[in-house]
Amino acid sequence: MSEESILRVEGLVTQFSTDRGLVKAVDGISFDLHRGETLGIVGESGSGKSVTNLSILRLVQSPPGNIAAGKVLFQGQDLLQASEEEVRLLRGKNISMIFQDPLTSLNPVLKVSMQIAEAIQLHHGLGRKPAKAKAVEMMKLIGIPDAERRADDYPHQFSGGMRQRIMIAMALSCNPDILIADEPTTALDVTIQAQILELIKSLSAKDKTAVILITHDLGVVAGMCDTVCVMYAGRIVERAPVDELFYDPKHPYTRGLLDSIPSVDLSGPDRLYSIPGAPPNLIDLPDACPFAPRCSRVMEVCTKATPPETVLDTATSRSVRCWLHTKENQNA
Amino acid sequence: MPDSQNLLDVRGLKVHFPIEKGIIFKRVAGWVRAVDGVDFSIKKGEALGLVGESGCGKSTTAMAVAQLQTATAGQVFLEGRDLASLSAKDLRAARKDFQLVFQDPYSSLDPRQKAQDIIAEPLRIFAKNGLITMDEAAIQRESLSLMDRCGLSASFATRYPHEFSGGQRQRIGIARALALGPKLIIADEPVSALDVSIQSQILNLLKDLQKDFDLTFLFIAHDLAVIEYFCTRIAVMYLGRIVEITDAATMARNPLHPYTKALLSAVPLPDPRKERSRRRIILKGDVPSPSIEYKGCPFRERCPQAMEKCALSPPSLMQAEEGHQVSCFLYGGA
Ligand SMILES: Nc1ncnc2c1ncn2[C@@H]1O[C@H](COP(=O)(O)OP(=O)(O)OP(=O)(O)O)[C@@H](O)[C@H]1O
Ligand SMILES: Nc1ncnc2c1ncn2[C@@H]1O[C@H](COP(=O)(O)OP(=O)(O)OP(=O)(O)O)[C@@H](O)[C@H]1O
Ligand SMILES: [Mg+2]
Ligand SMILES: [Mg+2]
Repeated sequence: MSEESILRVEGLVTQFSTDRGLVKAVDGISFDLHRGETLGIVGESGSGKSVTNLSILRLVQSPPGNIAAGKVLFQGQDLLQASEEEVRLLRGKNISMIFQDPLTSLNPVLKVSMQIAEAIQLHHGLGRKPAKAKAVEMMKLIGIPDAERRADDYPHQFSGGMRQRIMIAMALSCNPDILIADEPTTALDVTIQAQILELIKSLSAKDKTAVILITHDLGVVAGMCDTVCVMYAGRIVERAPVDELFYDPKHPYTRGLLDSIPSVDLSGPDRLYSIPGAPPNLIDLPDACPFAPRCSRVMEVCTKATPPETVLDTATSRSVRCWLHTKENQNA
Repeated sequence: MPDSQNLLDVRGLKVHFPIEKGIIFKRVAGWVRAVDGVDFSIKKGEALGLVGESGCGKSTTAMAVAQLQTATAGQVFLEGRDLASLSAKDLRAARKDFQLVFQDPYSSLDPRQKAQDIIAEPLRIFAKNGLITMDEAAIQRESLSLMDRCGLSASFATRYPHEFSGGQRQRIGIARALALGPKLIIADEPVSALDVSIQSQILNLLKDLQKDFDLTFLFIAHDLAVIEYFCTRIAVMYLGRIVEITDAATMARNPLHPYTKALLSAVPLPDPRKERSRRRIILKGDVPSPSIEYKGCPFRERCPQAMEKCALSPPSLMQAEEGHQVSCFLYGGA
């Protein structure tokens, strides 16, 4: 990536205090995001993808949540040190987020066109009328049938998939520098999904919007992302340019994930590969590789110490956290 | 008349929901045609996949087949018996033969019951009503053996649903559905809420169970890769109707309906090079509303190949080649 870095996350740690103990949801995450780049975040359910991005926007509920360490540098300014007011201004205008759960993020007593228009008015300084016209235009763009008539409906009158699209319209209408999209198309079927991903792609190409895309769908990652971070138990275990991740995965977890996908061409085996076991408890993680109990290539060292991050290529900042790939073991 | 090879025959199934207007004087202002004339059959041991966009009527079809939703019209035959014609008592007994597995394993499990009790509940109810003869000890044994068969260790028996992960909860839902030894499993998006690695565990489990228990499936999913992996035949639904139905291999190799083609072309492939080089059919236009009665083909306005006659009357499902039916004027019809 030759473009300048627009967001840099350094050593982010976010924890939740619960009755059973301290949950280390995000346990030391660092990455760079560049202008125009689409960064994918994948990983098992509960691995910390949503919490990472909520932390960036300082939206982790506290208590029980607590951002215990790290920096989030947006154009050089540390958002974790900024005032509440400064962060509020950035949200929506510079950094927009599409949440995983659209139901909780729309105002139930406000007409949907007003919610979109409000965002547009705020950030483009447009008047009421043109803002509403632009809102209706956005609703059409995301494939809401009968957009003019439905503009005056309230959120509960839309299906889950439509509410999701309204959230997307709101996030896109502000031309943000960074768009964080948490499972934006999970509730949608593939034809609508294709429509919306195309929209995000053209936005990213036209305005050089940087995108962080969280998804379970490795097909979406393959089609959308430039770079991919794979998370496991609160850490990034592998980071790679998209082609390298798919054609030359280094971490056994990444490999397992790719092998688990059913293939559409029916040429696959009768049984699907599946990673044995279950993800670890994030309370009291031992000093060991958290994937070790499920790993097919586990070695003695894996159960005795946490693997360090090994940078495999500084130019692309390709890296992996696995004892198989540390410098000593590579040379051995 | 239903074919004896078929476990399930669905004929002309319609489910219309009234749209009510008015606060004091309620009146019906229109109808949501959620399911609007659906025909299909499933042979014993077969898995039929149902795909289509959100709101096209897949779940409503499943609920009507399971007799949990009253049909506006049409019939559902299980082994030749019209389920709607059964008395309440006979229907209760017949429920042993068909069971549902839901998408959201969390909201479909009773949070106050322990895992083993959830699985044993259908057995207890049937035993109590004298529909099966099993004493409590036998029920305990059977439910533990079901847990084991579904990959749940016996130590989980006394845990509550919230103590399980999504994949484990889905295993509980599956074990419960198997308790009465059903012939047909109606699975509504059974793996949609799970992530890839858990999804493959559950799909493997369902495949194994299908062999071991000789099960027949009506399997709903929006992920075509999942459907093509699991199902022997596929039906594509659009706005309350089946627009194409054939075996899985033919559907993958030679889809005919323009909507099926768009659907297949939109499936994201987990392969960056293929993704960059492929051509996608991006549909334009409005998603149609099920409350409007369309004069012509309901897909017409989004169809890249629409013709004049598509506006005049709706096409009906017709044989395009051996074992391959499609409802589109490109392949004949008036
Ligand atoms: N309010 C909370 N209290 C306690 N633990 C929490 C809270 N919010 C999140 N966690 C825990 O933090 C971890 C990371 O959660 P997160 O939502 O980031 O996962 P995710 O990777 O986004 O998963 P998914 O793919 O299911 O969305 C999980 O183990 C979760 O249980
Ligand atoms: N009880 C109801 N009353 C009124 N309309 C309903 C009812 N249940 C479903 N519908 C409508 O019927 C149509 C079909 O819904 P259904 O749930 O069967 O769709 P689906 O194909 O399962 O969609 P999804 O993929 O989102 O689960 C939708 O337009 C829905 O809004
Ligand atoms: Mg999440
Ligand atoms: Mg449904």
